Amino acid sequence: MDQSVAIQETLAEGEYCVIAVQGVLCEGDSRQSRLLGLVRYRLEHGSQEHALFLYTHRRMAITGDDVSLDQIVPVSRDFTLEEVSPDGELYILGSDVTIQLDTAELSLVFQLPFGSQTRMFLHEVARACPGFDPTTRDPEFLWLSRYRCAEPELELPTPRGCNSAPGTWPGYATIGGGGSNFDGLRPNGKGLPVDQSSRGQDKPESLQPRQNKSKSEITGMVRSSTITVSDKAHILSMQKFGLRDTIVKSHLVQKEEDYTYIQNFRFFVGTYNVNGQSPKECLRPWLSDGVQAPDVYCVGFQELDLSKEAFFFHDTPKEEEWFKAVSEGLHPDAKYAKVKLIRLVGIMLLLYVKQEHAAYVSEVEAETVGTGIMGRMGNKGGVAIRFQFHNTSICVVNSHLAAHIEEYERRNQDYKDICSRMQFCQLDPSRPPLTISKHDVILWLGDLNYRIEELDVEKVKKLIEEKDFQTLYAYDQLKIQVAAKTVFEGFTEGELTFQPTYKYDTGSDDWDTSEKCRAPAWCDRILWKGKNITQLSYQSHMALKTSDHKPVSSVFNIGVRVVNDELYRKTLEEIVRSLDKMENANIPSVSLSKREFCFQNVKYMQLKVESFTIHNGQVPCHFEFINKPDEESYCKQWLNANPSRGFLLPDSDIEIELELFVNKTTATKLNSGEDKIEDILVLHLDRGKDYFLSVSGNYLPSCFGSPIHTLCYMREPILDLPLETISELTLMPIRTGDDGSQLESPMEIPKELWMMVDYLYRNAIQQEDLFQQPGLRSEFEHVRDCLDTGMIDNLSASNHSVAEALLLFLESLPEPVICYSAYHNCLECSGNYTASKQVISTLPTFYRNVFHYLMAFLQELLKNSAKNHLDENILASIFGSLLLRNPAGHQKLDMTEKKKAQEFIHQFLCNPL
Amino acid sequence: MAKKTYDLLFKLLLIGDSGVGKTCVLFRFSDDAFNTTFISTIGIDFKIKTVELQGKKIKLQIWDTAGQERFHTITTSYYRGAMGIMLVYDITNGKSFENISKWLRNIDEHANEDVERMLLGNKCDMDDKRVVPKGKGEQIAREHGIRFFETSAKANINIEKAFLTLAEDILRKTPVKEPNSENVDISSGGGVTGWKSKCC
Repeated sequence: MDQSVAIQETLAEGEYCVIAVQGVLCEGDSRQSRLLGLVRYRLEHGSQEHALFLYTHRRMAITGDDVSLDQIVPVSRDFTLEEVSPDGELYILGSDVTIQLDTAELSLVFQLPFGSQTRMFLHEVARACPGFDPTTRDPEFLWLSRYRCAEPELELPTPRGCNSAPGTWPGYATIGGGGSNFDGLRPNGKGLPVDQSSRGQDKPESLQPRQNKSKSEITGMVRSSTITVSDKAHILSMQKFGLRDTIVKSHLVQKEEDYTYIQNFRFFVGTYNVNGQSPKECLRPWLSDGVQAPDVYCVGFQELDLSKEAFFFHDTPKEEEWFKAVSEGLHPDAKYAKVKLIRLVGIMLLLYVKQEHAAYVSEVEAETVGTGIMGRMGNKGGVAIRFQFHNTSICVVNSHLAAHIEEYERRNQDYKDICSRMQFCQLDPSRPPLTISKHDVILWLGDLNYRIEELDVEKVKKLIEEKDFQTLYAYDQLKIQVAAKTVFEGFTEGELTFQPTYKYDTGSDDWDTSEKCRAPAWCDRILWKGKNITQLSYQSHMALKTSDHKPVSSVFNIGVRVVNDELYRKTLEEIVRSLDKMENANIPSVSLSKREFCFQNVKYMQLKVESFTIHNGQVPCHFEFINKPDEESYCKQWLNANPSRGFLLPDSDIEIELELFVNKTTATKLNSGEDKIEDILVLHLDRGKDYFLSVSGNYLPSCFGSPIHTLCYMREPILDLPLETISELTLMPIRTGDDGSQLESPMEIPKELWMMVDYLYRNAIQQEDLFQQPGLRSEFEHVRDCLDTGMIDNLSASNHSVAEALLLFLESLPEPVICYSAYHNCLECSGNYTASKQVISTLPTFYRNVFHYLMAFLQELLKNSAKNHLDENILASIFGSLLLRNPAGHQKLDMTEKKKAQEFIHQFLCNPL
Repeated sequence: MAKKTYDLLFKLLLIGDSGVGKTCVLFRFSDDAFNTTFISTIGIDFKIKTVELQGKKIKLQIWDTAGQERFHTITTSYYRGAMGIMLVYDITNGKSFENISKWLRNIDEHANEDVERMLLGNKCDMDDKRVVPKGKGEQIAREHGIRFFETSAKANINIEKAFLTLAEDILRKTPVKEPNSENVDISSGGGVTGWKSKCC
């Protein structure tokens, strides 16, 4: 059962017990069970704090009454919980998990049971630990102030200005401090925190040093707070939620083809180095003329703004101008939605999708990487937008690489820097950031600045005039570098069928006539990487004359994985079902060779054993017989399961013996029918099922365990009497005198006592070491049967066995021969024979009779002491403790009391009765 | 991001006389299967199943109890902590129906006060052997203000519906006691950032 329910009942509003686990607190040699509850408190501003609550508890906590709070350990920044392995011990799969809990103030060691509950607990605690982000506030644990009991005086330094010992938590039994700042926690007599305003002032000063400390300790702390997984099998048995989530996801990825299909979408990709100009002409010739309305627009600019302001303050009116110009130039046949705009100085990238596709665009992230001045500034570099389109991940990069013909290696380096430094956050912060290469589709555009080399300007211009682009292309640096695998590995570029896009005189189609007279080059390029991509066009747009570059465009058909909702749901359902199935299969389960145990005709002091086998299934598990509600042990006193707890490996067996043994403590109630040979045992599997085992049977009543007066009223052997009569007689109160009962006239002493004494008197009066030699177990059983069936004539046993039976008989009497009520009187007058006789005379008739009868018999024995070597002291010692028993319990053998009891009996052995 | 695969955990309990089909009801729901051989549940068993309700992933942990009378004192101790209890009788067994009020008393005495209860008349595929008319089941359910379904684990009638209805009823009155702000489900798309301006 989930014990967090019990803990929850004890918590205040706002506190939530995330998970609980039962463990053993180890302190030196002491081992104490504790219930560990991870309690969460939600603060007003949305953040949360955690603390470990340690409870003492009844065996299986079901309600809040079963637990009591022992200790609170706030989960503060210096809180660590680490799995440790006992020194020098090999890790054994399935053994208990030893964990060490450390804070600045304390260190505790616990043993937690092997299994998923423990795993989950450790996982949740690890999650609860505050991180080391210095921007988040230190936990303050104000809510825990409630748990400080109202102890009169709390010895603490004065509230403010004083660096009080952190983690001193007055009022708790013991409190493990978190290293937080508790200055604000000073109690004002009622155990309430002081007012918030003064707290707020304290905080910054005291907070600062702590943070620095945390920082310097980060590396060490991170290591130690990580839960080390000792064995791979541990992971498999973990049912932690995160893991399950990961499994669902990875299954979904694996089965992607089951619920997706490839659908082609038209992507327009454009790049334009605008040389710091504002838009002066319509962009339609570039963006939408002569094409069908694309589904996606990826439009990149370089040199958007060459001003110092743009460079230093990162702000430019050109962004809005060009954004507007692009938006207006998009294809008129469709409505588009802007998904993202990203700009680094002059490098800008815009992403639009057709309105109807917007719902299928997700996980949009944009990043920039500067590779300019000092390798970092934004005058050169790249910007990128990544997104998920349906089920395909797409990354679009716009880059402006290093200029100048001889700088091709710089350009290669810029490319590599962009690839390695461009990292996108993932929605799951625990996952590593995404890089460009981790995408299904990569579209790379920009002013890559690769030039045409080894040809002089005139030769280049001539080839262009002849439209011999193929020859010219052989001298293209990008082509050469890609072929040498130094850049854009794995990328493809379409055939260049347009003349170089650089460098023109602004406002014309004439080649650069400036002083520098740059050679024409294919600076502006579009490349791609990925499957299912077809380039439909790749061209420049001579009509646009705003810049010294011409814009370039390319249209692609890109096959995108589209989810079939119905199939997706079906696949997800299948995965969830299979995980449920796995989890169900992971619930420990055993089979029992037997579940009903019948113990027939159980006799007094006769050990009966029934055994059964637990066969484990495929999940390692702990088993234990657990208490039923309101009971102090897992079974009745006369029963014992051996072993009563243990661990089972998969597919292994263990034999459990149920041992039934009725002794003097349990016999009387079985005779009276107040108790029966009936019980149900609950075999519990840790985090698994419970099995009920039924024990039934019948007990054969015996004179052993029957009261003296009851036996006196039984003229028949006890086994010849109906059970109701036995029950009635056993429950009959002790009478102090002969009160003329309606019952058959009783005997003076129990016949069974007479039978044994008479046997000994006839056979053993001269027996050496009588009462001192042990008898035989088998012969005792024979004596018991003869007494209970009245077949006394059949009695043939050694004298020692009969003597022992007599002692056992006296010992089994629920009320001793000298009744409990007379015990203290007897001890008081143990030196005074007359007074002692007086006490004896007050005993109920049958008890007095028995006492006199036994004393007479013992005196007879003493007459033969020459032969049997008995003396008064030996007999007084043996019978003293049997006839006189302390009413408070038999366990405490007080030597003086024992001596007095001996003295008391001794008097009756050496004086005439 | 989502750390858990489910948002909530509901503990449900199946109770009722021995042989009314509690284990079969659970087996049908968890494994979508049916087994004709009767094996009396001697103890407490449980299975889990994850369902989605109102966009929330809910893990149902369903406890199956021994129905035999001699175990009643023990099984009642498992009522504590259950958020929903399905009380099952067998429409072909009059005695199991008569005992409903006794079971309901048991719930009152041992279960959490706000536990959601539901009555199931199982084996409704065996109409030829019916001894408890549907109306009687409806009536007693009405008297106690609880929902009622006639079900058949064998013919798979109303089993899923019953469990989902019970889970929904629990969900309805579950305060957002543990708001899981981190449990944002992102698997379904539609998170276009910067989604503001539209043009053309």
